[in-house]
Amino acid sequence: MALSFLVQFSCWMRKPLPTGIASSVPKGNIRIGKRGVDVTELRFETVDVGNLRVHVCSTDKFKTHMMVAMVQQELSPETVTLHALLPSVLQRGTRSYPSTVQLKRKLDELYGANMFGDVFKRGERHILQMGLELPDAAYLSEADALLDDGAAFLGELLHQPVTEGEAFRESYVKAEKKNLRQKIESLMDDKIRFAAHRCVEEMCEGEPYALFNHGRLQDLDAIDPQNLYTYYQELLSSRPIDLYFVGNLDTDRAVRLVENHFPSGNGARREISPAAVREGAGEVREVVDRLDVNQGKLNMGCRTGVTLADDDYPALQMYNGILGGFPHSKLFINVREKASLAYYAASRLESHKGILTVQSGIEIDNYQKAVDIIREQFDLMERGEFTDAEVNQTRAMLTNQLKERQDRAHDLVDSHYHGMLSGRKRPLDQMIDEVQRVTADQVKAVAGKVRLDTIYFLRDKGGVGNEKA
Amino acid sequence: MKKLEHTQLKETLHFEKLPNGLQVYLLPKPGFNKTYATFTTRYGSIDNHFIPPGKEEVRVPDGIAHFLEHKMFEEPDGDVFRKFSNQGASANAFTSFERTAYLFSCTENVKKNLTTLIDFVQNPYFTDQSVEKEKGIIGQEIRMYDDNPDWRSYFGLIEAMFQNHPVKIDIAGTVESIAKIDKETLYTCYETFYHPSNMLLFVVGPIEPEDIMELVRQNQAGKSYDSQGEIRRIYPDEPLQVAEQKKEVSLSVGISKCLFGFKESRTGLTGDDLVRQELATEVMLEAIFGQGSDLYQALYDEGLIDDHFGYDYNLEEGYGFSMAGGDTPDPDALLGRIREELPRIAEAGIPEEVVERIRKKKLGTYLRYYNSPEWIANQFTSYKFRGTDLFNIIPLLERLKVSEVNRRLNEHVNWDCFAASIVRPLEGD
Repeated sequence: MALSFLVQFSCWMRKPLPTGIASSVPKGNIRIGKRGVDVTELRFETVDVGNLRVHVCSTDKFKTHMMVAMVQQELSPETVTLHALLPSVLQRGTRSYPSTVQLKRKLDELYGANMFGDVFKRGERHILQMGLELPDAAYLSEADALLDDGAAFLGELLHQPVTEGEAFRESYVKAEKKNLRQKIESLMDDKIRFAAHRCVEEMCEGEPYALFNHGRLQDLDAIDPQNLYTYYQELLSSRPIDLYFVGNLDTDRAVRLVENHFPSGNGARREISPAAVREGAGEVREVVDRLDVNQGKLNMGCRTGVTLADDDYPALQMYNGILGGFPHSKLFINVREKASLAYYAASRLESHKGILTVQSGIEIDNYQKAVDIIREQFDLMERGEFTDAEVNQTRAMLTNQLKERQDRAHDLVDSHYHGMLSGRKRPLDQMIDEVQRVTADQVKAVAGKVRLDTIYFLRDKGGVGNEKA
Repeated sequence: MKKLEHTQLKETLHFEKLPNGLQVYLLPKPGFNKTYATFTTRYGSIDNHFIPPGKEEVRVPDGIAHFLEHKMFEEPDGDVFRKFSNQGASANAFTSFERTAYLFSCTENVKKNLTTLIDFVQNPYFTDQSVEKEKGIIGQEIRMYDDNPDWRSYFGLIEAMFQNHPVKIDIAGTVESIAKIDKETLYTCYETFYHPSNMLLFVVGPIEPEDIMELVRQNQAGKSYDSQGEIRRIYPDEPLQVAEQKKEVSLSVGISKCLFGFKESRTGLTGDDLVRQELATEVMLEAIFGQGSDLYQALYDEGLIDDHFGYDYNLEEGYGFSMAGGDTPDPDALLGRIREELPRIAEAGIPEEVVERIRKKKLGTYLRYYNSPEWIANQFTSYKFRGTDLFNIIPLLERLKVSEVNRRLNEHVNWDCFAASIVRPLEGD
């Protein structure tokens, strides 16, 4: 249940933010041997059904079936809020289940099928995701038609919303506009997320990537049931749609489900171009926000100029791992373990925009101390001052992370979709191989591309003016 | 080694109790890459007053179980994280009210990593200097939670509900309470609660059970543990009434948070009795607050809740509570509606078709959870420490009677046991 996630205090925070380590895995199931250890690699088979791309991962290792639709849009001020509003409006009702309570009870009847819908950024693409996970009937004494019912449900959710004329139902749009307003206003409630967003917003000012994935308050008033519906129709008919199936079903079955429940056309869909990747400029900006907080949040944003599509992406992953991806990394050891300044100090990559960010929570008075230590770690990386042990540990941890992603249906889909979006598909064995081959010199070379751009600090309201600490 | 099969889930559990008292459970997951292991002691933040076997009664500073968890990662030859990283394993630990768990996941070197896990937890090493250094780190962890409105509303509700029980003490303690922690007290806690007979090892993944069991047997046979007597845990009496009906705090948030719930009056249960009450209460809460309920939809349509609204039920031998809530623009109106609607729902009772719908939903949800090695290991351990078995849940759910759900409804909805916790935006922020 949603409320119970809080009641554990962990030794370290594995994911201060949602992570995006990418790998991708096409076609057929094979077993690969790496240094004597067998890894079961699951692969997707991709087929086109009309102008829909269907990806199927056939496996009996899960007790559920997962189906996910991904719809791409360019991240832009004109569409960001319309796009962000859609998942919640679509989850209010469909033609067969027009009221929300009917819809939710149908989910209960589908053995507690888990419906999910959201929008997120992948570089400067804005992705709408709608999905359903429901039990494999093989584990239930009845319910043979469950998978078909589930696909029909997801198809309706996406393609047959409740309408009033050429518009969404007014009461649903009104309520969801209000909820979206609350969602945008409550970004500040989670200070870790707030600081991460503010840092990127400042750093990418004037670029689409600065936009918040849940949109902008100033757009809400102009959205009505008609223009949202027009936007929705245009989106579904003209933008790339990928449908994922993971579970105990073969490709033929998945194709039949798509043919029966998802309308497809023959018209070409408009490809969405990848993010503009900027090289670092060299000048470091410092930004301070003030709120009533106890702990200061120190975030840094760097341009790397390297994305998933590039040959040196695995080297950048190694760089990030040595710097701040793990509890053996430089940031953890030096900011937390040695200087005792923070509970979390980590770095992560945005692999489509080519951005690396650092996040940490510190005592407000320790701002300068923490900035100095973190910048020193960047310098050490640039000078190639990391040991063989650090390289080997990072290699082992990255490899482990890649393999573990095979054990969650969500991760399988996410990894594959990263490959679709970047246009560079690296099957698991290739990705692992590339990580294994990265040399210390290559890490040092990629370190030369990492340019600190913005230092962001969220602090309390005490003190004067724009001082940091 | 014994075997327990769950035919519907197609899972088989292997287990053995070793001569030193350690309980070992193994669940093979063929087809998975990841092996996940937890080594858990039945020792959490509520165990702050106890009599170590054969010794004097002690009271320890708030937050010490969690502090000890952090300090266990330090070894004479450096910190254990690096060792795990060398072996490609992601390690962590967590402390809750009831338990402290040490864990790793890996896709290679399973035996090496398992040995590392068992050995570091069974080898305490604290120095005055490293204990002092940890105070800064945990101080920042506490600060982080101070700024987290979800945590503040959650903990505010527990503080409002309980008058004496140590569940009301923050798991990490306070900056002041952890200042009092020294290495001698850490050793006292360690020696009391980390005896193998108070611990459980769970391993799930693509493992050969006999191989892994043999490794653990030999590892434990190589260490000498005297048998340990009973640990006496001392908990104060907790009156039925809540400490205060409402607790409020103002923070820099964009929207108010409101949690409310009932302190459990029926406690003292263990084993399947505890599970039956837990299931009956969860079904009741789902019937009242679930997304398929009339009340949820009414509150949603009135704009008082959004889809972050949720509920939860916690039942331990010594205490229990329900809670529900989330973000709301108007906490007072929300609480007003709850006080108005719950008596009506209690009077009408929960009909059979609703219980059947929820039974189906919960069954499917459990199946989904069985995809997660983390969930299996953590839930299994939690149920074992409460005297029952995770595998019993589905059969007990299938046998749950509508009358039990309605009896729970009448028993649990007791306004003397009701409390609420509100986080409001700061004025002028």
